[in-house]
Amino acid sequence: MNKNITFLSGTLVLIFFCSLELMAQLRPVRGKVTLAGDGNPIPGVSILLKGSGTGTTTDLEGNYTLDVPPGANVIVYSFIGLETQEINVGQGRSTVNVIMEESKMELSQVVVTGYHELQRRDIIGSISSIRSDKFKDLPVSGFDQALQGQAAGVQVTQSSGTPGGGIAIRIRGNTSISASNRPLFIVDGTPVFDGSITGRDFGGQNDNSLAVVNPNDIANIEVLKDASAKAIYGSRGANGVVIITTKRGKNNKTTITADVQRGIVELVGRPRLMNSSQLVELQREAVLAAGKNPDEMGLIAGVTDLVDTDWISEVLRRGILQQYQLSASGGTEKTRFYFSGNVRDEEGVQLNSRFTRYTGALNLDHTVNHRLKFGANINVSLTDNDRVKGDNFLDGVYSGAIKSLPYYSPYDESGRLYVPNDPNYAEFPNFNPVAQALLPRFKTYGLKILAGANMDVSLAKDLKLRSKVSMDYNNAEEDQYEPATTAIGGYLESVGGKGYGVYSSFTLYTLTNSNVLTYYKNVDERHRFNVLLGNEIIHTQSRESSVSGRMFPSVQFTYLNSAGIIDQGGSSYAQSGLVSFFGELKYDFKDKYLIGGTIRTDGSSRFGKNRRFGYFPSLSGGWRISEEPFLEGARFVDDLKLRASYGFTGNERIGSFQYLGTWAAAVYNGNTGVGPNRLPNSNLQWERTNEANVGIDVALFDNRLRVTADVYRNLTDKLLYAEPIPLTTGYGSIQGNIGSVSNKGIELSISSDNFTGDLKWSTDFNITQNINKVETLANSDTLYRGYSGSGVGSTNAVLEGQPLGTFWGLNFLGVDPATGDALYEDVNGDGRISTKDGQVIGNAQPKFYGGLTNRFSYKGFDLSVFFHFMYGNKVLNFTNTALVNTGEDIDNNQSVIALRRWKKEGDITDVPRYEMGNTYNNYHSSRFLEDGSFLRLKNVALGYNLPAHWLSKIKLQSARVFVSGTNLWTLTRYSGVDPEVSTLDGSTTAQGIDFYTLPQVKTIQGGFTLTF
Amino acid sequence: MSESIMKEIIKKILPAVVLLSFGSCREVLEPPPVDLLVDDLVLRGPDDMEPVRIGLYNAVRGLGSTTVFAGDFTPDFIQNNGTFTDFNELGTKSITPANSLTRTLWGAVYNTVYIANFIEENLDELSRVSQAEKDDLLAQARFCRAYAYFIAVHTFGDVPKVVNTDVQTNRNIARAPKSEILTWVKEDYEAALTLLPERWDPDNATLNKQFATKNAVRAALARYHLYEGDWQSAEEMANAVINNRLQSLDSSYVTVISTEFDSESIFELAYANSSSDDPGTSTTGLNNILVGRREVIPSNSYVQEIVNVNAGTRRATITFNTSNQQGRDNGWTVTKYGTPDQGNNNISVFRLAEMYLIRAEARAQLNRITGTSGALADVNVLRRRAKAPLAAFATQAAALSTIETERLYELSFEGHRWFDLKRTGRINAVMTIFSSRWNEKYNLWPIPQAEIQTNRLLVQNTGY
Repeated sequence: MNKNITFLSGTLVLIFFCSLELMAQLRPVRGKVTLAGDGNPIPGVSILLKGSGTGTTTDLEGNYTLDVPPGANVIVYSFIGLETQEINVGQGRSTVNVIMEESKMELSQVVVTGYHELQRRDIIGSISSIRSDKFKDLPVSGFDQALQGQAAGVQVTQSSGTPGGGIAIRIRGNTSISASNRPLFIVDGTPVFDGSITGRDFGGQNDNSLAVVNPNDIANIEVLKDASAKAIYGSRGANGVVIITTKRGKNNKTTITADVQRGIVELVGRPRLMNSSQLVELQREAVLAAGKNPDEMGLIAGVTDLVDTDWISEVLRRGILQQYQLSASGGTEKTRFYFSGNVRDEEGVQLNSRFTRYTGALNLDHTVNHRLKFGANINVSLTDNDRVKGDNFLDGVYSGAIKSLPYYSPYDESGRLYVPNDPNYAEFPNFNPVAQALLPRFKTYGLKILAGANMDVSLAKDLKLRSKVSMDYNNAEEDQYEPATTAIGGYLESVGGKGYGVYSSFTLYTLTNSNVLTYYKNVDERHRFNVLLGNEIIHTQSRESSVSGRMFPSVQFTYLNSAGIIDQGGSSYAQSGLVSFFGELKYDFKDKYLIGGTIRTDGSSRFGKNRRFGYFPSLSGGWRISEEPFLEGARFVDDLKLRASYGFTGNERIGSFQYLGTWAAAVYNGNTGVGPNRLPNSNLQWERTNEANVGIDVALFDNRLRVTADVYRNLTDKLLYAEPIPLTTGYGSIQGNIGSVSNKGIELSISSDNFTGDLKWSTDFNITQNINKVETLANSDTLYRGYSGSGVGSTNAVLEGQPLGTFWGLNFLGVDPATGDALYEDVNGDGRISTKDGQVIGNAQPKFYGGLTNRFSYKGFDLSVFFHFMYGNKVLNFTNTALVNTGEDIDNNQSVIALRRWKKEGDITDVPRYEMGNTYNNYHSSRFLEDGSFLRLKNVALGYNLPAHWLSKIKLQSARVFVSGTNLWTLTRYSGVDPEVSTLDGSTTAQGIDFYTLPQVKTIQGGFTLTF
Repeated sequence: MSESIMKEIIKKILPAVVLLSFGSCREVLEPPPVDLLVDDLVLRGPDDMEPVRIGLYNAVRGLGSTTVFAGDFTPDFIQNNGTFTDFNELGTKSITPANSLTRTLWGAVYNTVYIANFIEENLDELSRVSQAEKDDLLAQARFCRAYAYFIAVHTFGDVPKVVNTDVQTNRNIARAPKSEILTWVKEDYEAALTLLPERWDPDNATLNKQFATKNAVRAALARYHLYEGDWQSAEEMANAVINNRLQSLDSSYVTVISTEFDSESIFELAYANSSSDDPGTSTTGLNNILVGRREVIPSNSYVQEIVNVNAGTRRATITFNTSNQQGRDNGWTVTKYGTPDQGNNNISVFRLAEMYLIRAEARAQLNRITGTSGALADVNVLRRRAKAPLAAFATQAAALSTIETERLYELSFEGHRWFDLKRTGRINAVMTIFSSRWNEKYNLWPIPQAEIQTNRLLVQNTGY
């Protein structure tokens, strides 16, 4: 550690010396620089004498003085985010006032990369930027959703239509089998926790801590994709980095904005199931085939099917979505602010589900003098989530409704819900899903505070220090109660009997301190240097506690204070930390040749002494061909840049103390002892991804056509992986660094301004191909993941040469027309079908995916149409193992697909015959695997800006009304309701499984925005 | 703000920030483990003995419910009635290597073996502990290891013989012949018999029944010899237990079902009552599987047997509820295992009634059918307790047939049936009548798929 201090201070001294300069006494030129529009002065504008290294910056009042030598007469005024101006001051002018305009060109826009900001044109790395106007009309609850289809290389999968539910984001594919594959999220310089805070599994669909950040407060989002951009994040960078910058006040008059949105929400579709008569006919057939008498089992046509309930309709409703926001921004020369308050309320499509969020944000910037600035941001969010049990739960609401037998009813003649022990209650494994939605209480209360303070010190000319301390605090409390009238609370005596309640609390917070020195030097206006040095300490702590009880006096008593037995409780604490040092050097020659290098070293508490520190370097280079003389003639080329990068990033996201061999608490008859817990591995270390990227940026025809293309090849090795070992060792696995995964891909983004007159039309298109492959595994062994698949082990496998997310199963060859039995491929040729005949039957990874947005505007009207597509991915319709189950279990309803089942010799069909209790025909096979490709009209929005001359009368600056619709239309061959689902939320090895998963919702909403 | 304040900031705050960063470095990078014990500290001093002993019994407890799954769910006692594939495979007689219950049982065996081997290896390292205390712990380790292997060979046939805790050795290890394992089991039992006490505490039934004692080993050896057909030794061991009167038969069979640590219990795997120390709603929770979810229910043929007048009060093993009777569900539920609240969630391993049945069978095999030391007398001890009509048989064949049924009445759902039918050679005769799907390969469970996949030297049982 001492070495590092010396290194740091040594560099500091060097930088100080470098900044000393020689001055010359010459002709002074003075002036004031102001912003077009509001006329406010702009401090900090860079003013350079063209062709020399001489320059200055404006002071707080925007004033400057530059000494101009004889002969020189062109001054260049530049400021990040503003249009650069060159002014010929001739020989006589001594006062030059400049009005600068905000940059229209994307190339000049500011991009936040790592620990500092750059202009888009100076970037050598692969970075996608998404501005807030791209998602302003989307009714998204979290910004992660807003990324879908907007950026090449970024795959966003919403796991279900559950409000506030989980979302999987993958940047350039999956790199890890067992550590997290989520990118690193940075909000205003603070790494934020993503994923689910609550520990209790909620039927596959987790909560999403990113849904607590209000997208309306976001100014823009940058996605860092290649090594040169993200190696500065070292051990946390392998999965990509998403940088979110929130809105900040500007130096102008106060603007107040009011937003109102309101809409309706419905499922994109509903499953098609049998009615009572169809089901009874099928059940009788299945029972007869098994040699039993259906009459004895109470399956009598015309009697049993007198009741016909559409359970799906019983548990669903039309939801209502509403959002209200008030924000204000503005400031003076010294102090600028942005403030907002927001309420969002989404009534889910399932009875009794609702997600409400209250957020408040305050960003402040204060300039003390030209050497010292302070900034602070605070973002508080409260969520109130009424949940209902999801898929993967035996007593889930939507899942239960799909399975429930239509010849039962939710209510009796007097409109009372049927509950356990009522005569007409469908006994286990069935129950009353309507009661399951209405009677229990599953509340999750969330609190997220994101707060930070930073100090910017100008230590010397061009040498700046930014110190930042920030906190990301997440808390979730779960309050659950299932009364005696529900399946769990009443049916299972061992759990509830007379009601069952749980209360748990989770807190997770991270404190981050970073100190970054930046130095900028321009020599002769030819050599430009950007140097950055910094350190960062990240400390994360988590605490949780939970208590559960049962035996409540009656359904009126719902909190644990009234529980007769408090039988389970627990608490735990964990912490982890990172200590890091990093540096970056960028150099360009005449804006033409650019090179850059970064290095970061991270020390992690997750690894043992031997491997605690890791090093993550990167190198990159760029060549702006458009600056070369031979392209001077090609006037239509505005910018043409070739760039390449190579580097290393890592992944440390596994649990703590995995490198130690440990014993943990074990109990026997209430006595506590210890039992073996984990095998040691002192050499446990980071996953390491080496990444190569070649890209090209082109801007043509006055910047009206912009193309960015990237080709990359990433190889992640030393995979953090709990290698399964035989239980004969006493353990099931050993934590190691084994195996490698590669991702190769091509990304293409095209933006064009097709019409620029009164009628404006612009197009954004992006498409990505990512080829994921497991290169090596421990002992080349195949790993089985996902659900257990009847007759074949598992639904998913990880094996060499195949991508992650590979589906495993028997190969279904069809239905034997003679017997009606399923035909499977006998892979090993032993004449029978066994687990040995399992094979790869497909994978969940798309061949390509992307988005297409067209925007039109004419006079005050604007229209945007956004399509999202995915092609070549398979979806496992695991729901059909129950809904087209060939009679294995006759205690649940069947899909209408089963109407085309084999019934008699000679029938040619793809659905085997029905026989009660027969598992063979329902073995897990390719019969359940379907093409999940889709093209979806993700959003269409029409807006109208009221004419200014109307507004000026009512003292409004602007007013816009809009209507928008989401998920209105989908083109797919998938036979289930929605191909865009994943029951194992966030899973890498078992993605794309539809198992009673709630489909996506479609939303139609309208609203208005007023600016005062 | 003046320039001088600026300088102050640069001079004082800046170094402070940097120092603060470095000062907290160790705290951030080297947090101490929470609620974990590092390997080297597990068995070092006298205070470590009890925690490791608890860990040992925690491991062997994993064999409680799984032995019932193997012993009672594999043969003809149940039919499936739920949604779990694992239990449906047992019910429909189509168990596959992917069945996770096979891995649960296998894991419980080798988990027990690991801790026992660990104790054996680390005993010398223990300081400030007397030889007698070391012997106690070692004897319990050897008893548990032997019991685990006994269940393992009768479930899977030949199994790997793991003699130490070395991960490399035990990662790729072939199956050792059943006979070799059984010889080792006998050695362990016999060693344990010498070292274990008759009781841990004369006044504490819980301690004497939740931990192994001499009588537990005698009972285990009685069963061992019965399975091996060594009638003489089986009788001798059962006799020893019956005669030393440390246990006595409960006056009512209902007490056997509803009470823990009752007077006839010799060794039981214990779960605390009204507590979270219970398998609860997991797939290994017997109450959950049999009563809560009713994943399996008694088969019709079993129900017909147990409602027979000769079963007497032992019919309380199952109960009937009309509201359950619909579809394939016959309405019966196995009620031998309660919830933590009901205070009967323990799983009995050895109890006195089994000793009477072992002695009866051994004597029948030795052709001692009637008289005070004949098989009939022992059978009638249990009939009398069950308030059932007394048995009357005179031939060896009749005696053995009655004992088979008597074991059903007395010991069903305690993990015996499948093993009994196999050792008497009656398995295929009984099972082919029960299920058309029965196949001789089901005389052994398949080796768990995951073990075959990770251990190259393991060969699967034939037929799977």
